[in-house]
Amino acid sequence: MKANLARCAALCGSLAAALAQGLDPAALLKPPTDTWPTYNGDYTGRRYSPLRQINSSNIKSLTMAWAFQANADAIKSTPLEVNGILYFTVPEQVWAVDARTGRQVWHYRYRSEGGDHIGHRGVGMWGNWLYFETPDAHLISLDAKDGHVRWNIELADVKLGYFATMAPLIVGNHVIAGVSGDATDIPGFLESVDPETGKMQWRWYTEPKAGEPGSETWPKDSDAIGHGGGMTWMTGTYDPTLNLLYWGTGNPNPVLAGDARLGDNLYTCSIVALNPDTGKLAWYFQPSPHDTHDWDAVQTPVLFDADFGGKPRKLLAQASRNGFFFVLDRTNGEHLLTAPFTETNWTSGIDARGRPVALKEKEPHADGRLLLPGSDGATNWMAPSFDPGLGLFYVVARRVFSIFYYTATGKPEGWAGRDHNLYEESTIRAIDYRTGEIRWNHELGPGESVAGILTTAGNLLFTGDSQGNLLVLDPATGKTLWHVNAGGPMFSSPMSYELDGRQYVVEGVQGVLYAWALPE
Amino acid sequence: MIRLFVFLIAAAACAEQRGQKEFVQSCGFCHGEDATGSRAPDLVRSPLVNRDANGDLIAPVIRNGRPDQGMPALPLSDSTIQDIVAFLHLRVKQAASSSRVGGDYPIERLLTGNAEAGRAYFNGAGQCASCHSPTGDLAGVAKKYPPIFLEERFLSPRRGFVTLTVTTPSGEQITGRRDHLDEFTVSLRDASGWYHSWARNKVKVEIHDPLQAHRELLAKYTDADIHNLFAYLETLK
Repeated sequence: MKANLARCAALCGSLAAALAQGLDPAALLKPPTDTWPTYNGDYTGRRYSPLRQINSSNIKSLTMAWAFQANADAIKSTPLEVNGILYFTVPEQVWAVDARTGRQVWHYRYRSEGGDHIGHRGVGMWGNWLYFETPDAHLISLDAKDGHVRWNIELADVKLGYFATMAPLIVGNHVIAGVSGDATDIPGFLESVDPETGKMQWRWYTEPKAGEPGSETWPKDSDAIGHGGGMTWMTGTYDPTLNLLYWGTGNPNPVLAGDARLGDNLYTCSIVALNPDTGKLAWYFQPSPHDTHDWDAVQTPVLFDADFGGKPRKLLAQASRNGFFFVLDRTNGEHLLTAPFTETNWTSGIDARGRPVALKEKEPHADGRLLLPGSDGATNWMAPSFDPGLGLFYVVARRVFSIFYYTATGKPEGWAGRDHNLYEESTIRAIDYRTGEIRWNHELGPGESVAGILTTAGNLLFTGDSQGNLLVLDPATGKTLWHVNAGGPMFSSPMSYELDGRQYVVEGVQGVLYAWALPE
Repeated sequence: MIRLFVFLIAAAACAEQRGQKEFVQSCGFCHGEDATGSRAPDLVRSPLVNRDANGDLIAPVIRNGRPDQGMPALPLSDSTIQDIVAFLHLRVKQAASSSRVGGDYPIERLLTGNAEAGRAYFNGAGQCASCHSPTGDLAGVAKKYPPIFLEERFLSPRRGFVTLTVTTPSGEQITGRRDHLDEFTVSLRDASGWYHSWARNKVKVEIHDPLQAHRELLAKYTDADIHNLFAYLETLK
């Protein structure tokens, strides 16, 4: 452990000396203030900013500092902010923008050979270099100074159905990159790449090989395990002291075809702890064993140290797409708490290991089965947040009624069916991590909100609703403190930084990036 | 031009059909009649098939076999091989689009319920009869929609208009069709078609949602209720 920290510190020191405008890796180990160096702001995934210049006593005077029009599809990425420059993305495109003024510094355009353009979460940064994944599942390194390509490698073959949307996580000298795609039956994996050369360091496959631990959770006498699934859609988190990566994995394939793959289907729909130097699995926990509803468990595994059951513990919490909130001990994966954070209709209870038990009759069927939530999930990729002062975990919780049809008649491949949404409404909820109790509920009305959450030491919670409003709430009570109609829904998660003594909060609304601050 | 297009599509469909027949005869014993694998690998998710363009990868394998893996060379004509290639690409496409549940979804798959029990639910627990009548607004409803859409429509009609009554601080009441309603703003169109809006905290708003009963049922239905109700509605031809 100590060796890791020392190594990291040595690396930080040597890199920092050589840098003028690049990222000092030491910033990755600190709470985000003048720098937002990684997708979630820091390794913990808490999306809690220690900044307090904008706070509950002056929030009424919040004003627009600048706006940047990307003239692009919805911005679903969280910008990085390093030395006064913001770096953010949409599929195929990266921008560098002046974080003080909103003026463009450079723009990079990639021409993808096919691939799904569903969304993009952003870039990773190591020293002077950026790391950007593409719809055709390539990983590209750009020079942060001017957006010039340093190298371009293929992570996976787009012709097989792979694509990529996530923001790579940088740990030491590893670029940790995930992949997406579940329309075809392909195995998910997480890959570590050398930041200088682009050479693969290790690859961890979601499905174990035949005979390895976990393979017993797939049928033995069929090719089911080869159908794969378990994509690594989202950016994980990291504990530098334990030297463990925490990653959520996606649903198994064929997506709705449970009978074709009886068993728990490890390590799909799981939270896995991996060694970042070797890619070896340390432990796992599976929020949705044998998933048949596309409820991937890729929501941020949020890390914090706090009391649980009367003693201090290193915790990991996830509000999962299936509607349940989980708390684990992140040193060893010991299960501590499972509690629903919204209404669901698909379980008969919680088993001894803390896993929700799925009702067989709620598996998709040719005649249709009514589910709460539907495949869009009780929550999804939009970021949750944890306020360490209040001990509250915040999540966008949605009631999505949906009916699942299983369509395959022969051997299933791909999705093998689909659900159709019937009604959706959204809320923001504060969960007490010790009990799972909902401390407050803020109704957002009809529709599926996809806005993420940021909390700050200024006693503020930043988010949006599904009606086009940006919201600032009181994180202790859920009461609205500020709002503005920003002209469209927020498809992104807010972030914050301080430059020249001024705090900014940046939020993407469709193709526009807004920066909010106090009047100068 | 359109004729040529239709011709080309028809020709392609023929090739796929011929290819399927040939595949079942020559390849199905090992690769499964639907190409999803049996003694030999699943070809639907085969990297080679997915990377193939017009037979450039598949044709040599059929022609030369893979003797090291026990696959014999098949003495088929170039055109027959192209038909098999067309069939395999169709199977890949079918798998990739297996999430489609469209208007042609077969009624037999949905009709697992009991129409009599559905009628009882309609008149009883579902309280459908308090708004609807099988001889009134629902007469012939089964003829109006493809079965899957009929099911979705009774579960979640999306077209009902919400009416709002706004009472202003002066006591004036305006009723009209909802335009927008959120935590901060309410707007509507009045009977003459004019638009009005207010800050939500300055007025009293009453919401009349004709679909409220449908929303409440979503939290109450069992799957059997849904299947029975569907079977009953399908009798209203």
